[in-house]
Amino acid sequence: MGEKRNRSKEDRGIPLLFSIILVFCILGAVVFSVAQKISREMASSAIQNLSESLDLMKGTIEAVLIKEAEFQKLMAQEIATIKDPEEFIRSYEKNQTMVKISMIPAGETVGVSNTGESFSEEELDFSSGGSVEGLPVSQSYLNYMGTWAYSMKCPIIKNGQEIATLYVEYIYDSLDESLPNGFYNGRAMLYIMDAKSERLVLKPKGMGQRDAGHLNLQDFYRANNIMEEDLQAEVAECVKNGKNILFYHDIRKKDALNYMWAVNDGTIYLIGYVPIEAIQQEGKTVNQNILIVVGVMLIAFFLCCMLYYFNQRQQGRIRREREAEREIHNRQLAEALHAAQMASNSKTMFLSNMSHDIRTPMNAVLGFTALLARDAENPDKVREYTKKITASGQHLLSLINDILDVSKIESGKVVLTVEEFTLNDLVSSVDAIIRPMAGAKNQEFHVEVTGIKHEYLVGDETRLNQIVINLLSNAVKYTQEGGNIWFRIIGLKQRSSQFEHIRIEVEDDGYGMTPEYLTTIFDAFTRAENSTTNKVQGTGLGMAITKNIVELMGGTIDVSSEINKGSIFKVELEFRIPESLADKSFWEKSGISRILAVNGNAGACQGIQELMKDMNVEVDVAPNVEEAMEALLRGGSDYQVVLLDRNVPDLDGAGTVKKMREELPEEALILFLTDHGTEGIEEALRIKNTGILHKPFFVSALKESILEMRSDLAKRDELEEEESSSLEGMHFLAAEDNEINAEILEEFLTIEGAGCEIVENGQLAVERFRNAAEGEFDAILMDVQMPVMNGYEATKAIRALERKDAAEIPIIAMTANAFAEDEKAALEAGMNVHLAKPIDVELLKKVVSKYVKRRE
Amino acid sequence: MKRGSMKKWAAVCLAGITILVLAACGGEETGSRNLLNNEEDNEKTVNLFGPMEKTNPDAVNVARSAFDLTIAMAEEELGLRVEYNTYTAENYEEKTYDDVTLDRARNDMDDIYLLNPDTIEALGSEGELMDLSGLSCVENLRDVVKTANTVDGKLVAIPQEIVVYGLFINKDMFDQYNLALPETPEDFLECCRVFKENGIETPVGANRWWLELFVFAQAYADLYNGGNTEAEIEALNRGESRYSDYMRPGFEFLQEMIDCGYIDAKAAYTYEAIEGEGPDFLAQKTPIVMAYWGAANTETAYGNPDFELLVIGLPSSRGSMPVIPTTGYGVGANAKHQQDAVDVLEIILSDEALQLYAENNKVISPSKNVEVDCIPALEPLKDKVEENVYVLGSNAGMKVEQWGNTCLIVRKLLNGATVDECMAEFDRLQDESLGK
Repeated sequence: MGEKRNRSKEDRGIPLLFSIILVFCILGAVVFSVAQKISREMASSAIQNLSESLDLMKGTIEAVLIKEAEFQKLMAQEIATIKDPEEFIRSYEKNQTMVKISMIPAGETVGVSNTGESFSEEELDFSSGGSVEGLPVSQSYLNYMGTWAYSMKCPIIKNGQEIATLYVEYIYDSLDESLPNGFYNGRAMLYIMDAKSERLVLKPKGMGQRDAGHLNLQDFYRANNIMEEDLQAEVAECVKNGKNILFYHDIRKKDALNYMWAVNDGTIYLIGYVPIEAIQQEGKTVNQNILIVVGVMLIAFFLCCMLYYFNQRQQGRIRREREAEREIHNRQLAEALHAAQMASNSKTMFLSNMSHDIRTPMNAVLGFTALLARDAENPDKVREYTKKITASGQHLLSLINDILDVSKIESGKVVLTVEEFTLNDLVSSVDAIIRPMAGAKNQEFHVEVTGIKHEYLVGDETRLNQIVINLLSNAVKYTQEGGNIWFRIIGLKQRSSQFEHIRIEVEDDGYGMTPEYLTTIFDAFTRAENSTTNKVQGTGLGMAITKNIVELMGGTIDVSSEINKGSIFKVELEFRIPESLADKSFWEKSGISRILAVNGNAGACQGIQELMKDMNVEVDVAPNVEEAMEALLRGGSDYQVVLLDRNVPDLDGAGTVKKMREELPEEALILFLTDHGTEGIEEALRIKNTGILHKPFFVSALKESILEMRSDLAKRDELEEEESSSLEGMHFLAAEDNEINAEILEEFLTIEGAGCEIVENGQLAVERFRNAAEGEFDAILMDVQMPVMNGYEATKAIRALERKDAAEIPIIAMTANAFAEDEKAALEAGMNVHLAKPIDVELLKKVVSKYVKRRE
Repeated sequence: MKRGSMKKWAAVCLAGITILVLAACGGEETGSRNLLNNEEDNEKTVNLFGPMEKTNPDAVNVARSAFDLTIAMAEEELGLRVEYNTYTAENYEEKTYDDVTLDRARNDMDDIYLLNPDTIEALGSEGELMDLSGLSCVENLRDVVKTANTVDGKLVAIPQEIVVYGLFINKDMFDQYNLALPETPEDFLECCRVFKENGIETPVGANRWWLELFVFAQAYADLYNGGNTEAEIEALNRGESRYSDYMRPGFEFLQEMIDCGYIDAKAAYTYEAIEGEGPDFLAQKTPIVMAYWGAANTETAYGNPDFELLVIGLPSSRGSMPVIPTTGYGVGANAKHQQDAVDVLEIILSDEALQLYAENNKVISPSKNVEVDCIPALEPLKDKVEENVYVLGSNAGMKVEQWGNTCLIVRKLLNGATVDECMAEFDRLQDESLGK
């Protein structure tokens, strides 16, 4: 697949590359041809330009020659009129142009010259046949001044007869002034050549290169390496015929235009060369500019290509990301489908389990009910059956509670009820529940509390209880008889001074779990083994509930387990530390400022010190009785309480207490810290102001013990509670639409000696209460879900009645809507308290006793 | 981050290119509507007349390059341009460079002239050259220069190099025939004989200019190295002794050379310097030629031979003898740009310029302050000069001009005149100088 994609990429890439190369080739060809065309046009233009310049120079030189000839004619005419022409000649001063004037009288061969010497025509060569304005021009020669010159001769005619010939010598140097100063900016070379002798007779000034002084045409050729014979022949032919010639030839390795330009019918020539780069300066600039433009275009093209490339790459990346996203999405969908299928399977399995689990106790209930009907006359059997029916009912109830809990947590309806609580209460309640369970299986239940700095915390105690009890009950459940269960509360390092960070550990040495099961232990509807084959019954929801609650509290739960070795659950939680402690004042008021803790366990002592620090109570520590006695001897009167660990090695029960008593003030309390039971210290406990305090140590527990011992309230309270818990003689109004429930309620109340009037819905309840005499009912037991009018509305209606007792009469919600929010709704509707069905008579009794004023 | 920086770079590049293109295509605005630059060309020029060497394409003429360097110094420093006027005879029938120099100097055609020894004396005595003794560079000059170029008490020319002439020897060929380097005329003739016998048709390559070197070496070896120079010259100037007496041995020597076929007289009569005899020497057909010091350094002459070159003095009774005809730059007495010309000379003859010149050309400088190493081939010649062993090829202190006249008389010998006829010509010249 990948290969195919790569191949298709390559397939796309190669034509693209060829296309780019093709575009470049075409562009290059176009640019090249444009540059060539421009060069050609520029060259043509340059040739024309050079030709014009040379024509101009030629015209100038010819004009000079003509002027010279004309002037010479005028001179001849003038001389003809002079009496003594020879004297005139001798006295004629030379000037810059005419450097020598000579005259030979007709018929003679020697004449006079203005230089004072005799003059003969033999010195001159007029054989070349050149002429200007009809005057013969001599071949060039080096004159007496050491410079190149030419002469023209003109007849002097007087009265129609030629009386003499006038010879005037002109120097080429005079032409210099008529030629451009620095031809082509000094880069061109320009000479005047005598056509016949091929001598270079003038190199105008400003013509540059010093080392190129040329002697004659051959020297010019040699110096400039123009050695092609055919070219030289062509030039010679042109020179011979007095024609112009212009040709390309490299001069000193530079392309140059060479020229031979005929002047005065080819008697003299303008010769030289111009480097092409000098003549086509603008052409070069144009080509450079074209190259710059092409360069810029290429850069732009490359930039575009780059942009395109980057864009494509980005698009590709986005596409890949989308594909990846889609794949993830698909995978998630597949996973979700799988999870859904799993969930469905789990739920199917759960339903199957539930079917079994519910049917089993239900079967027991129905079976025993049938047996009950049959053996109604036999009180022993009845008692036995009802006991079993109750057990099965309780099991059913716990199943239902768990299911409801899970569904509620999963639907996010759980709200934590955050209140102040003490770890002491937690430990006590858990201990009260688990210890009997463990005891029933002969298991050792160990409770350890270490490192706790604050026992008063803020949190949802009920849910925390639920977590711990879930874990512990599982531990009990999944541990064989005679095993050990450890419950530890460990204070961890605080992350914030406002929060207590604790770890709850529940460990057992029971069956343990397989690694596979550990991965799903916290999933709902799973169980260590299929319950139909497992002796241990349960909903399989406990751990899911536990984990959810822990997470709801912002904590973590971990588990490690080994099969047949046991398991350990670790729950880490943080609880806010309450800002003010009501207990603090208790210690001050009680006059307790110093405690002596006698304990062999240094850690435990430290724990006590830590906990008491907040209470402003000083704790002195003694590891054994001996040292404790020493401390008491030193200042026994300072101690108000002595905490005497049951396990101190040198403890001698009552003896120790008595010894201590001698040193302590009379009202000082001695409390034995014990795990459980009072074996061995019964005698000591009989001594006044001596009591026990169950481990682990908690401030609140200590406080309660102190209170108990000081006021002996405990017994009284107990009696009062017992008395007030009785429902005897009370009369209730109960709104209950379900006949069976109504009947059960009526039966329970009747058994308790209370009367009850049942109405079928809220509306009837309101009516009945409105019509009732004041004090006719002690309380109203209100179901919530009822036809016509529900419990909340009925409560509101009752509370709204204009009766004195309408606002006061206790209304107790008795409903299957067992959630906290239901309780909240009930209270908001005006009910006093909320009780969840099924009815727990003991609970009902407690609640009633609390809210209903006993009629005197 | 990476892509971001790439984008930034791309933006900066684009901006840079845009600015460059805009700046490159922008034109300069001028205030005036006139498109022409009418600034007058006030450049000063100085005309210099010198010989023109026929040049080969792409060949580097070291001497000219060195001279150009010093001229460039002057142009830059003085803000003027030195214009060259040149001449070289196309053939022996044409006017010589010296002839043209005389004509041009006499007609005030140029400002500075590069003068050969004969023209120095001629123009100097005619008063056509200005006295250069006031130039600040003069005090650095070697005495030999001052002696040779002083005419009637005026220093009329100063050279950039002391031109030392010698024999250019193909050492390989000498070694081939086990020949020692010749010290005396006899040695020389013996060498020639051996070469001739070994099939070297013309052992000595000569041109129409420099055969006189043999004459000078033999004529004046004693005069310049005998310790009585001034008295002997004075005697010649007074006519008490004859030039012909000095010159005769040299002429007889040349005659013998011609007679023996060691020199091709006819060819020599028409050959221009180096141009004629040079190719045969470089082709190793001729083992001996005469030339000046600088020819050993320049590619256009004998600067790059395929054999071991050695330059020695000319044979004389006192052994190998370099011949020094002092040349020099002179300024026309009526030159149009005389002051500028003097300024140019001041610069091109300064120690700095002479140092530059000598370093480039590897020649002996006329300045006492400039010392430059020479190539190995020139060592023998240099040693002689250093030992003050040489003869002057020209001496403005002698009433009879030596360099040019001797050259012309040697040509007569080449053209068939007898030694006696040549000596008669010297006597005539001496008599003319004495006003007889």
